[in-house]
Amino acid sequence: MGVSTAVVSRAVITSEVTDYESFAEEVCRKYGLKRQYLIRVLQEIQARYGYLPKEALKKVSEVMKIPLTEVITVATFYHQFRLERPGKYLILVCMGTACHLRGNTQNYKFLRTYLGIRSGESTTSDGLFTVEKARCFGCCSLAPVIMVMSRDGKHKKLYGGVNPVTLRKIINYYRAMERKAS
Amino acid sequence: MVKVIVNGTEVEVEEGATLLRAIQRAGYEVPTLCLFGHMYREASCRVCLVELSNGKLVPACAYPVSEGLRVLTDTPKVRRVRRTVIELILATHKTKCWECLRKGGHCLLLKLASEYGVEGIPVCAECPLYGEDCLVVRGYPCLGPITVAGCGAQCPLSGSYCIGCRGPITRKDTLREAARFYAKYGVNIKNVLSLATIFWGRLSEFNLVRSELLNSFTNYFRGGGP
Amino acid sequence: MRSLLERCCSKCWHSTEYPCRNYVRCRLEGPLCHDDPSCREARRARIEEIKYGRYGFKIRVPLASCSIAAGAQEVYEAVVKEVKSRGIKADVGRVGCTGLCYLDPWVELHRRGYPPAIYANVRPEDVGKILSEYLSGDVSSAYALRYRTGRARGEDKVPTLDELDVWRLQVRYVSRNCGLIDPESIEEYIAYGGYRGLDRALRMSPDEVIEEIKKSGLRGRGGAGFPTWLKWRICRDQPSKEKYVIVNADEGDPGAFMNRLLAESDPHRVLEGLIIAGYAVGAAKGFIFVRAEKPLMAERLRKAVEDARKYGLLGRNILGRGFNFDVEVILSAGAFVCGEETALIAAIEGRATPRQRPPYPAVKGLWGKPTVINNVETLAHVATIMAEGWESFARYGTEKSKGTKMFCVTGAVKRTGAYEVPLGTTLRVLVEKIAGGARDGRRIKAIQIGGPSGGCIPAELMDTPIDYESLQKVGAIMGSGGIVVIDDSSCMVDVAKYFTSFVVAESCGKCFPCRVGTKILYDTLVRITEGEGSDEDLEVLQDLSEVIKYASLCALGGTAPNPVLSTLRYFRNEYEAHIRDKRCPAGVCSRLVTYYIIDSKCVGCGSCARSCPVGAVSRGSNGKYVIDSSKCIRCGQCFIVCPVGAVGKR
Repeated sequence: MGVSTAVVSRAVITSEVTDYESFAEEVCRKYGLKRQYLIRVLQEIQARYGYLPKEALKKVSEVMKIPLTEVITVATFYHQFRLERPGKYLILVCMGTACHLRGNTQNYKFLRTYLGIRSGESTTSDGLFTVEKARCFGCCSLAPVIMVMSRDGKHKKLYGGVNPVTLRKIINYYRAMERKAS
Repeated sequence: MVKVIVNGTEVEVEEGATLLRAIQRAGYEVPTLCLFGHMYREASCRVCLVELSNGKLVPACAYPVSEGLRVLTDTPKVRRVRRTVIELILATHKTKCWECLRKGGHCLLLKLASEYGVEGIPVCAECPLYGEDCLVVRGYPCLGPITVAGCGAQCPLSGSYCIGCRGPITRKDTLREAARFYAKYGVNIKNVLSLATIFWGRLSEFNLVRSELLNSFTNYFRGGGP
Repeated sequence: MRSLLERCCSKCWHSTEYPCRNYVRCRLEGPLCHDDPSCREARRARIEEIKYGRYGFKIRVPLASCSIAAGAQEVYEAVVKEVKSRGIKADVGRVGCTGLCYLDPWVELHRRGYPPAIYANVRPEDVGKILSEYLSGDVSSAYALRYRTGRARGEDKVPTLDELDVWRLQVRYVSRNCGLIDPESIEEYIAYGGYRGLDRALRMSPDEVIEEIKKSGLRGRGGAGFPTWLKWRICRDQPSKEKYVIVNADEGDPGAFMNRLLAESDPHRVLEGLIIAGYAVGAAKGFIFVRAEKPLMAERLRKAVEDARKYGLLGRNILGRGFNFDVEVILSAGAFVCGEETALIAAIEGRATPRQRPPYPAVKGLWGKPTVINNVETLAHVATIMAEGWESFARYGTEKSKGTKMFCVTGAVKRTGAYEVPLGTTLRVLVEKIAGGARDGRRIKAIQIGGPSGGCIPAELMDTPIDYESLQKVGAIMGSGGIVVIDDSSCMVDVAKYFTSFVVAESCGKCFPCRVGTKILYDTLVRITEGEGSDEDLEVLQDLSEVIKYASLCALGGTAPNPVLSTLRYFRNEYEAHIRDKRCPAGVCSRLVTYYIIDSKCVGCGSCARSCPVGAVSRGSNGKYVIDSSKCIRCGQCFIVCPVGAVGKR
């Protein structure tokens, strides 16, 4: 295989990186370079990639003339922002009071065990699912609740009254969808 | 000008001044830690809290004065809260006094901790021997890094290494860092421990201290973390 | 006429460039500038159409976050399909949420002359049958009727809403439109009397508006209960020409969704309140700060802003009064502390972390300018008070806590939902009468009120009236109005641990007491729930909690220890059981619980073994199943899936 694939894969990676940078710059300029739009800029970048790539953050800092540490302060302070690429589907487990009392903490543990996610990580090794704790969605009458969201934000569905039995079904549904797509 | 009453004493300060200014003008003192002139006035450390007449605690460094404001700087509540705040600060502070530029009497944390009776800072904080003058750096099994401060580091000042008469530091992370310090300068932990047995041998904490030191010391050589 | 908001004829000249002062009044009472019976008739007919549909048959399906999550979108589509395929002459309308979430998804059918009937927990496949029944004049399978007309079959057997405790005991002051109107239609809002508050306010001076709000006794509904008029007054009195008003739609308390409900079901009411606030205070720009986790809320508010602008209710020279005001909707990025005023301001500025107060935002806020921050519900009350007059609000409530408030009751109750009651109503009425009391035959142990900043009240104190003073006396706070009912299947130490873990995660990290202190509280609680606690730990918890309360920089830290303090006060026995007996009385704390299979009940189906994520359940030689305690992670799955309840906990 040798040289040709190495060249191709490096080209892919560099083009991804420049893609991050050029998109980040575009978004910054769209909002004018005022500090108050920082969070909105980051939100748009995350909406596109599902997370905040390092290169994009550096570009934002450069273009908006905000020190990188401050950009990272904001990026790490707010829960919505992710600094690591998530899996294709994000499973957000609501940690609201009603959901906790109805067993979502156990559901969270179950999902991690069932999907084989290792301690300290949040994504499955096949890159399909990321399991995260989420703040209250405000649908407490359906507790316990999870939301499944695709990385590109196009698919978003809330599932209520979940337990390990229903969670298995849900996971299998998305796995099946993946198989069909590929 | 605004009139403020500090511990019963009336003083006048400019409008827009902080409570701290009024307190100082009245001749009283309130410790501060995070205040740094104009560059940092965010009242984050909570050490300078003082008590208002309604019982509320406010940070002197950031609270604006108002006409007739009454404040008390040394009530039981203030002292109790300040003591706990110091404990909390120390709980997350990387205690490595042996290599800190503030050793030998310039450490505000040590001053506060001593005044409020909070333990956990080693003798090194009081000892002025720094760098190549430090007894550990010179290869001696000085117990300064693992002994509770409070004696003014009399022994090292007179030329003999600390033998731990004030008792051991029991905080694990400090002990771990101390072990690495000893290892770095070629002081054998066994010598440190046999010296420590003199005053600490009968203490119940000694086993814990000994195992922490031994583990970290050996880990240093294995290339592992503390 | 196509829309109430359009001109009735060429004599009408209202536009955003040349706004007519009587625009709002004219929508319902008009035309006012000329006398034309056909214009009047056109208006009247249009209002009829809005209320009863074009053919006198209106079908309402709720489309708010909770109903959509329960499947209302599919029901909506099923209704539309059914109506089309059967050629039924009906208008299918989207509405917001009534707050009776336990009915989701529901459908309301209203044909002129017949009682409006509400059907509960509707599935797409039930739609056809329901329509057929109703069209034949039969309402017997409805959950409730809004009122009876004497023409439908089965009317007497079905209760009206006013005969049900869950509705009768409410006073739906601000939530009156929720579940009735289309939240994305400004026309419907106006048809039901919307924007009359703004109209009236603009005919008064800002000082008179503040006086009206003062007379009403309205206090901030976000949690602190600060008198709204006073906040406005302080801001108004500031010399700066540049001022801001902000709607705090962050609603971070887990278990509270009143704001979401209001903003998704009646967004114009909130917007109207904001505009009135801007007028009273002298601001030209308003922001609506919405939580990241509630995007539908942001969408509905954005649409409301757009529509208001389109018809001259927002923008330059509003209603010809020379008042300029515009609004921007901003999405947060997810931080509970953003519910705190100074942190919210920091987020709008593109920063993070709260600031020391004083100076308070009303004096020095957004970009250093005087800023008023009001809660969603507060502003909804403002709009309603200005429309109906201060007495309409002040007649409810107690001496110091006037008016009504919305509360979300969730947890271990039969009827979870959002309910609006007069302040002073007791917890017992709200939890037992309105929300139906405990579920599954369990016993209510405690009522958690105020979210992570609040406290737990034991069931014995359920006769406490819900008002600011009474709650403070028992060691709780009203907070934003989220009430979680806890039954005996929950562990109070676990609840304290849960809330403390929330605060640890949400602490901004700026000050020591909150950042370090709450973590120490959490670690201590973890040790206690794992059976490694000691009596000293209780002293540490009490002492450290008190210090954190006094010493924290902002209200997040200042209220963070409340769950710990209130559970220590009222449920000390549970803590002691964990410490002294190494036992969790509720059977929740996993390390202190052992799962085992009750041999006599086991039928050998193997569901437990299949559900076990770690393979700790195996089949014994006698066909019954057995749990290996050493492998068991105490997830409780076998307990949940066992069809015969053969799994025991001790």
